[in-house]
Amino acid sequence: MAQGLLVKNDNGDVLIDSEFTHYHFLGKHTHASVTQVPDITGGSTANTGGIGGNSPDQNKGMQNMPAKGEIYIYSVPVNGTNPPLCFIKPTSTGSSAPFAGIVVTKQNGSNWEIRVFQSAVTSDSPVLYCFAPLSQISNSAASGDTYGLQTFNSSGAATFDSRIKPLRAPGGGEITSPGLAHTGSLGSTWNVSLSVNASSVSTSFATQSDANDLIYYCPSLAHACQKYEYQAADSGYYSGDRFSWHRSDIWWCFYRSCFRIASTSSFEANYGVFARGHFYKHEAAEEPWYNFQNLFGALLGFLFGGAVFAGLFVAISSSTFTNVSVAAGNYLPYSNSYRNTSGNAFMISKASFYD
Amino acid sequence: MSFGLQIRDASGNETFSSTDITWTLLGVYTSNANTSTNHTGVPIMPTRLVTRTMVDQISGDDESYVHTFSLSGSTLTTTAPSGSDTIKTVFTVFGK
Repeated sequence: MAQGLLVKNDNGDVLIDSEFTHYHFLGKHTHASVTQVPDITGGSTANTGGIGGNSPDQNKGMQNMPAKGEIYIYSVPVNGTNPPLCFIKPTSTGSSAPFAGIVVTKQNGSNWEIRVFQSAVTSDSPVLYCFAPLSQISNSAASGDTYGLQTFNSSGAATFDSRIKPLRAPGGGEITSPGLAHTGSLGSTWNVSLSVNASSVSTSFATQSDANDLIYYCPSLAHACQKYEYQAADSGYYSGDRFSWHRSDIWWCFYRSCFRIASTSSFEANYGVFARGHFYKHEAAEEPWYNFQNLFGALLGFLFGGAVFAGLFVAISSSTFTNVSVAAGNYLPYSNSYRNTSGNAFMISKASFYD
Repeated sequence: MSFGLQIRDASGNETFSSTDITWTLLGVYTSNANTSTNHTGVPIMPTRLVTRTMVDQISGDDESYVHTFSLSGSTLTTTAPSGSDTIKTVFTVFGK
């Protein structure tokens, strides 16, 4: 550089370069509201009442489905086109702590809406510590304080101001999320098994003194979607009547990646259940044995075919189910796969720098 | 500390020092949905970190691929993994 200020540490890392913008503390924010994605469920049952034999009526709701996480909604007052850098102060740390990550960053007028997804419901809530360039922070943030160091770039714009608590980030790196959220069997008969059981992926950062003081920036990028399908049918005679039934079900979970501070030097990634759903179709018929030709022609067309599942997918995708708030989505964009798992950058800082 | 830089506020609290580690903003680059883009003129520092953010993404009913990237010299190459399901991605490049 021909002019200006350049400060480096012993490792040669740049601390202040007056030509480049530094992030500064914008404020600490608690959530304005909390929500969950409503369950997306539906099914049709036809003529199953009083059917003889073994027509299955169990688990037509959300039995055995894993619990959903919560979504905390924040409104961060910062004007400008660049989203704020929001660090999460988690509700707890350690190997049993819930995972949390930013799942939505959206400009809303002169505010930015940030949504944090936490994998489990807790009595405490995550708190955001947000940062922005000086150009997006009100000058009044430094009013009255005449001590400190301020730098300007060659255009005369302020780039660093020690009065507005510059970002200090003692840790950082990249983390990869697991692939599938649930490994192994997805269920058995009418019992579903879609809970998150993937092993957490861990990465280390420079050891700090107190895990409970740490905050992290790591937007959620990865997601996974898994489904379990089951269908069964039977027919025969029962108490002198001819009967037939068929049932087809789809259960699914949509997972978002989220993170936790596992220790003073370990950062972990895994998933939480962001949304879930269940659809089924169950039809049956029973007639005196001498009438069976009247009904079986129609019912047999429903038995044993992928067309039933295709029909359920159409139901899931129909507009009827796209107005469920948080997301106007049906959450089954693909199945038994995952997206965006690699190269998720993160930074670690300390709440005590800014409290 | 016996040498280096230490900045304090009027109350004597340290706000920044040369024992700190931090990240300086080098640039913010946006790649539009379903489009691969090369961003040039990215400043160079000894160590750089690229974060990606899915801006405006709320709906979960699409595949929501984010762009992949590589950073070499002053060029940030961003690639849309899917021609129809890659969302707008904001890249924030930090340096130290």
